[in-house]
Amino acid sequence: MKKIALILIITGFAFLANAQTPDISGYLRNYTGVLYDTGDFAIIQNTFNLNVEKRGDKVAFKANPMLYHYWSDSLDLRLREAYLDMYFDNFDLRIGKQQVVWGKADGTFITDVVSPLNLTEFLLPDFDEIRTGVNAVKLDYYLGDNTFEVIYMPNFTPAELPTGNSMWYIQPEFPAPATFDWSKSEIKPSFENSELFVKYSAITSKIDFEIMGGYTWDDMPTMHVNKEIDMSSGQPVLTGLNITPKHHRLYLGGGSFSTEIKGFVLRGEAAYYNGKYFQTEDPTAVDAITEKDYLHYLAGLDFNVGNVKLSTQFIQQYILDYDENITNEETENTMTFLARYDMFRETLHLELFSYIGLTGEDALIRPKVTYDFDDSFSLLLGSNIFVGERTGRFGQYQDNSMLYFKVKYNF
Amino acid sequence: MKNLRTSLIAVAILIATSFGANAQLTGTQIVEKAYNRATGDDQTSTLTMTLTNRQGKQRVRKIKQFSKNLGTVEKNIMFFQSPADVKNTSFMSWSYDSDKSDDQWIYLPALKKTKRISSDSKSDYFMGSDFTYDDLGDRKLNADTHKLLKSETIDGKACYVVESVSKDEDYMYTKTKTWIRKDNFVGVKKEFYDEDEELLKILTIKKVEKISGFWVITNSEMKNVQKNHKTSMILNNIQVNTGIPASKFTERMMTRGL
Repeated sequence: MKKIALILIITGFAFLANAQTPDISGYLRNYTGVLYDTGDFAIIQNTFNLNVEKRGDKVAFKANPMLYHYWSDSLDLRLREAYLDMYFDNFDLRIGKQQVVWGKADGTFITDVVSPLNLTEFLLPDFDEIRTGVNAVKLDYYLGDNTFEVIYMPNFTPAELPTGNSMWYIQPEFPAPATFDWSKSEIKPSFENSELFVKYSAITSKIDFEIMGGYTWDDMPTMHVNKEIDMSSGQPVLTGLNITPKHHRLYLGGGSFSTEIKGFVLRGEAAYYNGKYFQTEDPTAVDAITEKDYLHYLAGLDFNVGNVKLSTQFIQQYILDYDENITNEETENTMTFLARYDMFRETLHLELFSYIGLTGEDALIRPKVTYDFDDSFSLLLGSNIFVGERTGRFGQYQDNSMLYFKVKYNF
Repeated sequence: MKNLRTSLIAVAILIATSFGANAQLTGTQIVEKAYNRATGDDQTSTLTMTLTNRQGKQRVRKIKQFSKNLGTVEKNIMFFQSPADVKNTSFMSWSYDSDKSDDQWIYLPALKKTKRISSDSKSDYFMGSDFTYDDLGDRKLNADTHKLLKSETIDGKACYVVESVSKDEDYMYTKTKTWIRKDNFVGVKKEFYDEDEELLKILTIKKVEKISGFWVITNSEMKNVQKNHKTSMILNNIQVNTGIPASKFTERMMTRGL
């Protein structure tokens, strides 16, 4: 892996030396986190982010490799984006690996489903790093302030989830020994398996809005559970579980808006998902799963109190035609809260961001202070505090509460 | 001789008439003339903003900006070029002649997202400088009550001195005093007073140039006299009336960048 990374970096610099003066920017960052409970290091990570781009009147390109180095001396090279742009009078075409961001929500993903998430560190990475790039052809057609967008993705990219040795991996509890068969979790690239998204959006003097639809795959695998029953004693005895993770087709439609009313920016976003599978305890259910339609929506408000910028959102996930055997709650309510204050001519930034799980009675509280030592160099001290019920989405990580420090050089 | 006398009388009447006309101008009329001064239908420029703190340390921001007057709405778009952490960020605003609040959007390239932002933050300082969004010209004419205080000469130029008092008691400035040239209604100096009516900031116009027939302020400096830091703004590569298309002021251009 190290050799491959090195070859790619050398090739990259050789390309830069020959390219027609592309713009180069990026950053180098150290990120060190310490767990409150044990004092162990939660993370020691060095990141080199390189943006190489060149824009002309008719064409452009961008390549964005990111190299992560960890305390164990392991390297992780990722090509976050690498695409070509073509600009025409009324439409633009983008081809290659790209990140796509849709919707008006902050810190939650409702219609923003084109780029899958990297959840290997839960929701902690910056939101520009949490989305992964996808191979796609994107066409945008413009009519005044209206945009019609079509995205075709030839291959499916699932969400990245933490694996067994990660502190973010929660070992599920099974009533019997479980074996996993991951052979059916991969979706082979083919025309039949490709994904398609469409969006119409507009910004106007009164309101900005988006209307979208998607023919996609569920980024999260559904766990098909096959039970091994021993009847030798005359009574059924559960002796094992064969679990086969599979991705399923998902159809969704939705939209979002934002508008300003007397200094308050009101935002909303909603999506209707068809084809979503949930785990069920219904003994008659095949593979212990059931398909239910599902609604995910949000209402948010951004406003200022003095020089403090505030934002709050209410988010609800609602399973339609719910039955009591489904292991998820029928509704899951979450709130987010953001406060930000800039001091000393925008060199010191105070921020508090929180997810509050109303259903799970838990929360993730994220205060941070950033000081811009100069225009290119910043120091950040922050904390990720998980509190509440251990059964909740955030409370389950309460042993992972940490203090962290980031130092970053932008160029 | 008769002709000469007639001519002199005519000139005298003209001077008296024009002096009389200007002498009769109220504070509101003077500010209105400055506010409505012809600046062309569109303008392109590169803005270099230098922030100097009390120790003399400087930070520099560079912005490419475009503006266009579309009748009842003026549209502006800015592309931040430096420092590195804000490169390719863009900001668009649509300002209306009516009482309607401005519409404002910001595009953050790292987040790949265009966000509508509240225009209720006119008192915020622009990019950490000594200029608020209002100071940069977003403030509506009828937000203040204007009163002509006196006439004064600055750098050999005859000026009106107009005091403007905010109609909003909670506004960050209790009053401002503006020195406006009598010949072309270009402002040359402005004083800003805080909530205790103490002098807070002084704006000095250092250079005004006539470009394509329009007066353009190309060099100005805002000094915070209480905290002893300042911001200079220098405009370069100025082009007026080049026929910037309306399509420049769209989300498409915000996301594409320069």
